Amino acid sequence: MRKHPVTRRDVLRAMSSGVALGSLGWGAVAAAHAADLRKRGKACILLWMQGGPSQFETFSPLVGHKNGGDTKAIATSVAGIQFAEHWPEAAKVADRLAVIRSMTSKEGSHPRASYLMHTGYLPNPTARHPTLGSIVASQLAAQRAGDTCDLPPVVRIGGRGRSDSGAGLLGMQWDPFELRDPTQNPANTTPQVEPPRHLRRLALLERLEGGFAERLPEEAADHKSLYRRATRMIMSDAMRAFDLEEEPEAVRQEYGAGGFASGCLLARRLVESGVSFVEVVSNGWDTHQDNFAKVAELAGEVDRPYAALVRDLDRRGMLDDTLVIWMGEFGRTPQVNPNAGRDHFPRSFNAVVAGGGVRGGQVIGKTDAAGVEVADRPVTVPDLFATFCRSMAIDPTVENMAPAGRPIKLVDGGTAVDELF
Amino acid sequence: MATIRVIPWAFLLLTAVAAAAPAPADRCDDETFLRRVSLDLVGRQPQPAEIEAFLADRSPDKRAATIERLLADPDWARTWARYFRDVILYRRTDDRAAYMSQPLETFLADRLEKDARWNTIARDLITATGSPAEHGETAIIMAQMGETSDIAAEVSRIFLGIQIQCAQCHDHFTDRWKRHQFHEFAAFFPRVAIRREPGMAAERFEVVSYDVDPRARRGRKKPNPQNPRRGDLEHEMPDLQDPSRPGTVMQPTFFLTGQSLPVGTGDLDRRGAIADWITAADNPWFSKAMVNRLWAELVGAGFYRGVDDMGPDRTPQSPELLEELAAGFAASGHDLRGLFRTVLATDAYQRASRSRSSPDREGFASNCPQRLRADQLFTQVLAAVGVAESQIGKGPAAQARRGNNPPAKGGRKVQLTVPRTMFTQVFGYDPSLPREEVVGSIPQALLLMNSQPLSSALDGDRQFTALGRLLREEADDRGVTQQLYLRTLARHPTPEEVATCLDHVRSTGDRAEGFEDIFWALINSAEFVHRN
Repeated sequence: MRKHPVTRRDVLRAMSSGVALGSLGWGAVAAAHAADLRKRGKACILLWMQGGPSQFETFSPLVGHKNGGDTKAIATSVAGIQFAEHWPEAAKVADRLAVIRSMTSKEGSHPRASYLMHTGYLPNPTARHPTLGSIVASQLAAQRAGDTCDLPPVVRIGGRGRSDSGAGLLGMQWDPFELRDPTQNPANTTPQVEPPRHLRRLALLERLEGGFAERLPEEAADHKSLYRRATRMIMSDAMRAFDLEEEPEAVRQEYGAGGFASGCLLARRLVESGVSFVEVVSNGWDTHQDNFAKVAELAGEVDRPYAALVRDLDRRGMLDDTLVIWMGEFGRTPQVNPNAGRDHFPRSFNAVVAGGGVRGGQVIGKTDAAGVEVADRPVTVPDLFATFCRSMAIDPTVENMAPAGRPIKLVDGGTAVDELF
Repeated sequence: MATIRVIPWAFLLLTAVAAAAPAPADRCDDETFLRRVSLDLVGRQPQPAEIEAFLADRSPDKRAATIERLLADPDWARTWARYFRDVILYRRTDDRAAYMSQPLETFLADRLEKDARWNTIARDLITATGSPAEHGETAIIMAQMGETSDIAAEVSRIFLGIQIQCAQCHDHFTDRWKRHQFHEFAAFFPRVAIRREPGMAAERFEVVSYDVDPRARRGRKKPNPQNPRRGDLEHEMPDLQDPSRPGTVMQPTFFLTGQSLPVGTGDLDRRGAIADWITAADNPWFSKAMVNRLWAELVGAGFYRGVDDMGPDRTPQSPELLEELAAGFAASGHDLRGLFRTVLATDAYQRASRSRSSPDREGFASNCPQRLRADQLFTQVLAAVGVAESQIGKGPAAQARRGNNPPAKGGRKVQLTVPRTMFTQVFGYDPSLPREEVVGSIPQALLLMNSQPLSSALDGDRQFTALGRLLREEADDRGVTQQLYLRTLARHPTPEEVATCLDHVRSTGDRAEGFEDIFWALINSAEFVHRN
């Protein structure tokens, strides 16, 4: 009877119409943030190709060598730069993309390489290195002092909750907020009762905590602060960012259909609302078998929203402050295996960056004709992370303390790729 | 059953507490004690009937008797199996090792229940071989995917409380350990490896000893390009100036005692020897590491600040007490039940709690609230709403599929479809972290506030929920309030709390709705998510 589902719009309506019980501050907490207009700072969107995307069938086509397989290259909006045929939309925005074709690492195991490419470090049991999103969010928070966002600072869309990329030693407040399905509201953000009753419950909770707060003031205060932040978030107008249906049809069409497309559109909306870092995951790039057909299919899901995201950010004047990264944990073997697949290959692979002060329309580095060895301008993982830091004006030498009092730098050495800026 | 000999507590604690130390907190009240000891030992809060019986019990040794009863409960083994499972698996470097969760819990629970000797458990974990599905004791090796240096680091951290791997690349900054000492220790583990093929599921891996010269095997199996070192028979300390040059072959040597083995010793002999030396009764660090860890977990602060960062160059708080406990633990044959019994009997454990960063906690002058571990909290939520874990997902739909009798007319079985693993993903934390670093997260608050399954389990209108039953059977609102407090916080409400609740129900104008709010508030309270 009274258990009808409550939408977020109901909550917001109740808040703004003053139904809230304000006596203990809960109404005030929500109302004060109802209109959350904030100025945007720097941000980062990581498009993560889980499994290790083939460099040859993406942005490093190998023309005129048998290792290239049957994959054709197409022209892009930049004379002299070619992409693989599956990326016609990205080709149109190539003037805003910078392709690094000389990435190199030694790590060819999925979990370890995924950790490496998310944190800049190889895993070890002593320290949980923070993932790029947590680094960026915590550092940008310092830059944005006082300018807080009601939404979680790091959001990961479409991931599978892997433990290889959390906030680690930065602490749980910087953990990515996981969203499996970008078309659904995030889990547990809708109160199960009508808004006035939800606020009544929160007020009751604070009244009943009085005795505990007298005995254990610190634990009670932390808890109260957490519940206030959580309530502020779910009652914030900024939660509308999760509602993709607010977006004009034309924009939705530009991004295209599918989970990854929704993720990219949501990423833009979140960054627009003040979220510092959004990771959008595309799964299935581990193409040991049937590489060519599979990559064509995956590219069909990623190409259009990727290009739309870059164009959309640019149109809104957000691209200069938003670094967009396309990468996976490693590349694929130049030699095609007997199953028409490509295996893991960290020795030379690619990554693409755009926005965030990066000069687009260029290629960094190259491999030899067989696509095996980096032939020019090797870029290591720490170099890449130093580049990310440069883009976002983050000092890569900042140290965090690991347990046992060991200082760990944001980036382990490495030099930013100057040519990108 | 071994028991650690009685320790002159009063004296030790007096000497431990400096003149300027704060006045010790009072002994905690019976309700606080029963909830604390139940969560600590068996991972669940006491049920209302247990609480009433405990309060009514006038015998002077009722606390000791309760400790004995809970130590004999199979849930003691389960609870601490989960704790040590987390100690090992939260440090995994490879997510495939998450597979070990169940086999490791099973191994530990079985061992703790039958013969809770930490030395034999440690030995099995250090010397394990075989398939991970059948041998949960392979977990440390699986968690580090057979990496020599990482296994060495974890063995030292978990069993000795010494972070020897800080000396992996350079001599330790603050402690005495030299770089070569780390690599000599790592030299106990180069021949343990994980046999696996690309794409193979973790349960089909196998932990094996490689004692055959890899050159002799060449031709049968090409070296793994992802890990060219795998198959090397001896551990080499890398040349820091030129890592491409071959390193120095290290002789397996134990940094605490200097005991060593010749290069060329087989894997099982190496690991057997280091297991013997680590777990020896006269190795104080093996005993101290466990005493420090359990004391920190149970009293709220350890003798050393980090549960796994001790060593001869650090100064503990109350060193005499630590020595005494460690010696007792070793003399008992490293009997874990005995150690629990001893720690739980102390004044330090049984005192009231003070806030974590309160200066009044110095010298173990009080106990300290601990955020519940995910498993404790999950069990507690289920008990509060009256759902058995085995009943989750067995609602009417599932029952109908199985052709069981339909539920009574108008009634619906409660479904709480948040399974333990989903819950632990949100609430879990590495139990070796300093507790001031373990903070609540927004997804945690959101789950307790707004989860749909939990919300329907709180429903007061449904016949089969705990609250629905309670409202039917108990006409007195005071009685309902009291029962809700007992179910959730395992204590009676104060008169002020009763007044607040009754006032809330009155002002709501709907009895069921009012008590749903109260039930919800209690489950979302700070008190509920802490053991204090």
